[in-house]
Amino acid sequence: MELVKAKVPTRRAFSERLSELGDRDSGFAVFESDIGRSTYSYLFGDRFPGRYFNMGIAEVSTMAAAAGMAACGRTVFVCGYGVFLTMRAVEVVRSFICYPNLDVKIMSSHGGVTAAIDGVTHQATEDIAFMTTLPNMKVLCPSDSASARGSVEIALATRGPVFTRLMRDPLYELYDAGERFELGGSKRPRRGSDLTIAAYGDMVFQALEAARLLESRGVDAEVLDLYSIKPFDREALLASVGKTGALLVVENHQRRNGLAYEIGMALLKERSTARFDALGLDDTFAESGDYAGVLEAYGLSAARIAETALRLVADKGRK
Amino acid sequence: MNVEARARELEPIARELRLRIVDMVHAAQSGHCGGSLSAADIVTALYFEIMDLDPERPDKPDRDRFVLSKGHAGPVQYAALAMRGFFPVEELRTLRRLRSRLQGHPVAGKLPGIEATTGSLGLGICEAVGMALDARLRGGEWRIWTLLGDGELDEGAVWEAAAAASKFRLENLTAIVDRNGLQNDGLCEEIMPLRSVPEKFRAFGWEVLETDGHDMAAVLRTLSAAAAVRGKPACVVAATVKGKGVSFMEGVRDWHGKPPSDEEYAKAVAELSGGVAWNW
Repeated sequence: MELVKAKVPTRRAFSERLSELGDRDSGFAVFESDIGRSTYSYLFGDRFPGRYFNMGIAEVSTMAAAAGMAACGRTVFVCGYGVFLTMRAVEVVRSFICYPNLDVKIMSSHGGVTAAIDGVTHQATEDIAFMTTLPNMKVLCPSDSASARGSVEIALATRGPVFTRLMRDPLYELYDAGERFELGGSKRPRRGSDLTIAAYGDMVFQALEAARLLESRGVDAEVLDLYSIKPFDREALLASVGKTGALLVVENHQRRNGLAYEIGMALLKERSTARFDALGLDDTFAESGDYAGVLEAYGLSAARIAETALRLVADKGRK
Repeated sequence: MNVEARARELEPIARELRLRIVDMVHAAQSGHCGGSLSAADIVTALYFEIMDLDPERPDKPDRDRFVLSKGHAGPVQYAALAMRGFFPVEELRTLRRLRSRLQGHPVAGKLPGIEATTGSLGLGICEAVGMALDARLRGGEWRIWTLLGDGELDEGAVWEAAAAASKFRLENLTAIVDRNGLQNDGLCEEIMPLRSVPEKFRAFGWEVLETDGHDMAAVLRTLSAAAAVRGKPACVVAATVKGKGVSFMEGVRDWHGKPPSDEEYAKAVAELSGGVAWNW
C-alpha cells in the first residue's frame, strides 16, 4: 500500500472541519489560549468571531471558563497543546468537566513526540494516561486528515467530554475523504496472518512501514488503527489476535499506563495465550531532535517495531 | 419598601442561616463553619433579595446564577437554598453523608440550585466568566454572581479570570470577596500578603465597591450598585469577620474547618437564637 504524503497536519485538518461545521451548527463555541495560529483554531475565529474566545496564555482559567459555559448547556471546544491542556489543567478537566460530564471537547495538538523539535516541555507523552484515567472522558487519536475530520464529528455527536490528540507535522494520508469513523471503532489498514500490530496516530504509519519490512522477512503482519482509544475496539482487537496469535502495541506515549496496559489486561481476562509486547517510551523522557531521529533514538521507529515483531513471531510456537 | 426596612426583615433570615450552618456542620461532624458564617449576610442578601430565582423552576432559563467559588463554604449556600425552598430543610442534616445530595463541596446537577461544581479554589470565578460569556451569546439579561474567599485570591487562576472578565467587559458579572482576613493556616497577611484587594481589581479594569459585609442595609445597597455597573465587571470587597455570629468562633483561625462539639454546638445555638428555644 502506497501512502500519500499529507499536505496538512491533523491539527489543521481538525480545525478546518471545526470551522466548516461552525456554519451548520450555530451553537458551539471555541476557546483558545493564544496558540490559535498553531492549532489553527483561528480559522474558526475568523469566520465566527462572536463564538471564538482567546483567553490569553492561561490554560487553567481557559479550561474552567469552558466548563462554566458548558454548564449553561453549550458545547465548547478548547484548543491547545497537549502538555498544557492535559497536565497543567488536568484538575480542571477532572473535577469541573469530567465529574459533571460536561460537553467540553478538547482539541489537543503536539501529541506524543510529534513536537519532537520543541523538546520535552512541549511533548505530550503522558496525555493518554491522564485522559483515559478520567471517568466520563472519551479519547481519540486520528492519524490523517480524514480521521481528524471524522474526530470532530465524533466529538460533536458524543455526549460529554471528548479528548482528541493531534499532531504537529503533516505525515501521510491513509483514508478516503468519505471514510466513516465512530466512537469505539477501529480500522484495519493492512490484513495479515502472523502477527497483529496495534497503533494509533503517527504510529500507524510506522507500523505500516514495519509491516513492509517484515514482509521481506517472510512475516505477514496485520495492522490495526485504534483511533478510538477510549473506548477501544475490543472485539476487532481480540478477533485479530485470535487469528494471528501475537500482538505488538505501539504507542507514541509512555509505555506505562498507555493503551497497551489496557489491552494487556483485556487479553489476560480473555485468557489469551497470544504472545504480547508493547513499545513506547520506556519510563523516560525524550529530547529535542528531528522527528525521525527521536523515534529511532527512543525505540518507536519502523525498524524497531519490525525487530520486536520478529522476536514475538519466533516465540509463538514456544510454551 | 426602603432598604433599611428590608434589611430589618432579612436580618432574622441571616440569623437562621447561621443556625442552620452550625447545625449541619455539627450533624456531619465535618465542614467549614468560619467561612460560611462570614458570608451569611451576603448570601442572605443575594438569595432573598437581589437574585432573580424561582425555587419552583430552578432551571428557568433567565434566572440569575450564583457560583460559590469558595466552595468549602457549601453550608451557607445549602442553608440558603433550603430556606428559599429549593429542597426540604430537613435534608440539611444529611451534609457529607453517603448518598446525600449535599456533597462536601457543591456539585452541579446533584442538588437543585447548584449551578457549578466548586471546591477547588480559584476556579469558580473562571466558571463564572464562562457563564457570563454564555449569557451574552444568548442575549440574556441575567447576572452571574460569584463569591470568593480572600485566601482564595492566592490562586493565580483568579487573576487569569480577572483579566478575561475585563477584556470581555463582562458587565453581567459580579465577584464578591468575603474579606475575613483569615485562611486555613492563619492570617492572610501572614500566609501570603494580598496588599490592596480593591486596587488589584481596579488595576485589572474592574469597578470596585466596598462594604461592611455584616451591615445588611449596606450589603443590599452595594450589591444593587454593583449590578448597575455598565461596561465592565464589578467587584464587591466585603469586610467580614470569620465565624461571625458565634462569639467563640469570631476571628479564630481554628474554626476554619473544625466541627463544633456537642457543648460548643449548644452554646452557639443559644447565642444565635438569642436564648430562646430554637424550633428546628
